[in-house]
Amino acid sequence: MTRTAISVKNVTKQFGGLTAVDEVNLEISEHSISSIIGPNGAGKTTLFNCVTGFYSPEEGEIQFFDQPVQGLPTHKICNLGIARTYQNIRLFKEMTAIENILVGQHARMDSTWIESILHNPRYVKEEQESIDKAFELLEFVGLSDLADTPAFNLPYGAQRRLELARALASDPVVLMLDEPTAGMNPQETAEMMAFIKELRDSKNITIILIEHDMRVVMGVSEKIAVLDYGRKIAEGDPAAIQSNQRVIEAYLGPSLDGILNRKKRKKQNDA
Amino acid sequence: MNESLKRSLRLGLIFGIVVIFFMLIGFTNVAANMIGDMLGNIEQTSVNPELPVLNLVLFTGLMGLFTGVSATKKDGQDSWVQVLISGLIAGLSASIIIVGFILIVGSLHTQGVDFRTYLPNLGGNEIQYLMFYTTPLAAAVRFILIMVASSILGSLIVKSFSSGSTVNRALKSLQQKTTKKLDVQTLKSALGNKFILMGALVAVAVLMYFLPFVWGSYWNYIMGTVAIYILLGLGLNIIVGYSGQLVLGYVAFFAIGAYTFALLTAPEPHAIEMNLWLAMLIAVLVSTLAGFLIGLPILNLRGDYLAIVTLGFGEIVRILIRSDLLTSITNGPKGVTNVGQPFLRGQLFNDTNYMHLLMLLVLAGLFVAKRLKDSRTGRAWISIREDQTVAQATGVNTFRYKILALMLGAAFAGLSGAIFASRNQFTGPEDFTLMVSVNVLCVVIVGGMGSLPGVVLGAFVLKGLPELLRELSDYRLLVFGALLVVMMIVRPNGLWPVSRPKFRKKPLEATPDEPVEVEA
Repeated sequence: MTRTAISVKNVTKQFGGLTAVDEVNLEISEHSISSIIGPNGAGKTTLFNCVTGFYSPEEGEIQFFDQPVQGLPTHKICNLGIARTYQNIRLFKEMTAIENILVGQHARMDSTWIESILHNPRYVKEEQESIDKAFELLEFVGLSDLADTPAFNLPYGAQRRLELARALASDPVVLMLDEPTAGMNPQETAEMMAFIKELRDSKNITIILIEHDMRVVMGVSEKIAVLDYGRKIAEGDPAAIQSNQRVIEAYLGPSLDGILNRKKRKKQNDA
Repeated sequence: MNESLKRSLRLGLIFGIVVIFFMLIGFTNVAANMIGDMLGNIEQTSVNPELPVLNLVLFTGLMGLFTGVSATKKDGQDSWVQVLISGLIAGLSASIIIVGFILIVGSLHTQGVDFRTYLPNLGGNEIQYLMFYTTPLAAAVRFILIMVASSILGSLIVKSFSSGSTVNRALKSLQQKTTKKLDVQTLKSALGNKFILMGALVAVAVLMYFLPFVWGSYWNYIMGTVAIYILLGLGLNIIVGYSGQLVLGYVAFFAIGAYTFALLTAPEPHAIEMNLWLAMLIAVLVSTLAGFLIGLPILNLRGDYLAIVTLGFGEIVRILIRSDLLTSITNGPKGVTNVGQPFLRGQLFNDTNYMHLLMLLVLAGLFVAKRLKDSRTGRAWISIREDQTVAQATGVNTFRYKILALMLGAAFAGLSGAIFASRNQFTGPEDFTLMVSVNVLCVVIVGGMGSLPGVVLGAFVLKGLPELLRELSDYRLLVFGALLVVMMIVRPNGLWPVSRPKFRKKPLEATPDEPVEVEA
């Protein structure tokens, strides 16, 4: 029996008069790979921000393994085990690659500032362990040669992978990736897809994606939720989504039949 | 006329104008005074205000040298004759302008015209000096001779050091020889050797111990001020450099430390006269507490808003101290006198003792700041500076770490405030104006944000250099400002920009035998 990792119940988030997320329900089961898709401005990232605590929703409830998390400060949500990456890469630019990962481990360390001045054995041990772990993670994402390079000097693809490694550093239970393949060429995209699958299998974590590249979405997801104008319009496995009429309309506009029907109705109304 | 000669002519004219400009603002005389100080040849009395002519010759020669150096091509393409001619032309064209100036001013002066109405720096004595205490014509001849000779000398120097010349080749081979002997690698491995490192450290320690005895109370005072600013800079560096919170009211914590210490130890107005070291500790604690209390409401502000609010806080503390409301507690605008001084072997602390104490504290402060910087705490601070939102989403309790930075920074300020009050034996509200905050911020920025050697260097440059420039009297701040502008253009990231630490994997052979503890 798989448990529900994240459940979103009737969540609504408004910005002034704009309802960015409108009564969305979503259940993400443990160890799954799920995708949230939808046209630009559909409210995907806003939903992410609600789950990770950047926004607190006006209505509804968000649960992390049956524990309500809405309204908690973001660092507490991170401590619970939800990590994320960002649509437009947000690394700590002046810090080196390995330092970025060490900050990522912050939540899993507990030495205090006094210990860091004293350098007591516990501190030294924890520090060395986290440095070793950071090197492992760098190797995992293929950046071990660039450990001491400042983040702003890394090439684009490496920055994306570093951001992923930073998120992994906090030992997350749920990993939320906001457009992980944005700006990548087909080969890099394929690599990232394989990487995401391997991540789920080897580290046994739950992954939620926001993605525009349909090859990625259909290739890796077990479940897809489609948002349009803040509302969830469809949910299901890739095959079901591909043939769903409302999804196709949301992306491509209504079909010719649909337009003709609408015109016919309008004529009848006029008459 | 070929291109390089035209260039020499143009540069000569420019330098001539510069020399006249120096004469007009009186800088020539100031420079002559400085040269006199260096040579020790001034025996100026109120009866005989004459300056040695030699100094003017040296200064003019120096200007001529610059003329020649800049008028000559650096690539060594020109032949010796061409170089000689460019030097000559540059010197001549510069001296034409100077001679014109001297002839006009000198002859008007001899006819009794007083320039001081329009040019306050061109009084009778100054003009006499510019004429070498002779006639205008004789002075003009001397100027021509000095300028041309030194300009040609400058050109020849450039030529002999330019690539391809014998001197240049000799220098290069010398450089290669010395670097082979003393390259960075040898130096590093030498420092890696524990005995040599210890020896070097002991030598530095001995030097630092004896310096305050040697250089006298004036330098102890100046260097003491520099040390206090290093401590302040280290504290503000934690707040601004590490955690990136632009706090402009840092002087408030300095004031709170100084006043706490002063009120606890001075006979007036409270007569508590507590043990000094205890008072110093309390001063640090009180400033830390102030940092905590002021941090609670304001640290949710960001950027400009935080700067403005803290700016207000700094002023509020100063105004409160001197207000009628608190006069009974703080002694108001009069300040607190007879602040306690520590004893050492039954003797009151003298300037040397203070210097030693400050040196120790600076070393301790550097140690603490360094260890904080390269730890989990320091990384959390820097991540807040880089991107606060993401830092929090990465698990950093940003509010707690910002408060911690403010408290530790305030502790540094409180400590330096206590020593500042004790050393001056006085503290008053006017010691804690906005300018102190601005100066400390400049120390941090000029040195390089977040950089520890930068703070030390910045404090020396900003507090020590103005003292060295004291000779320039009125032009001190002008020159100082120009230096800062130049520095910021040449090194926009500060004098000693921060470098990120390098990390090493644990060496494989050092794997511990004992079982690794699993943390719950």
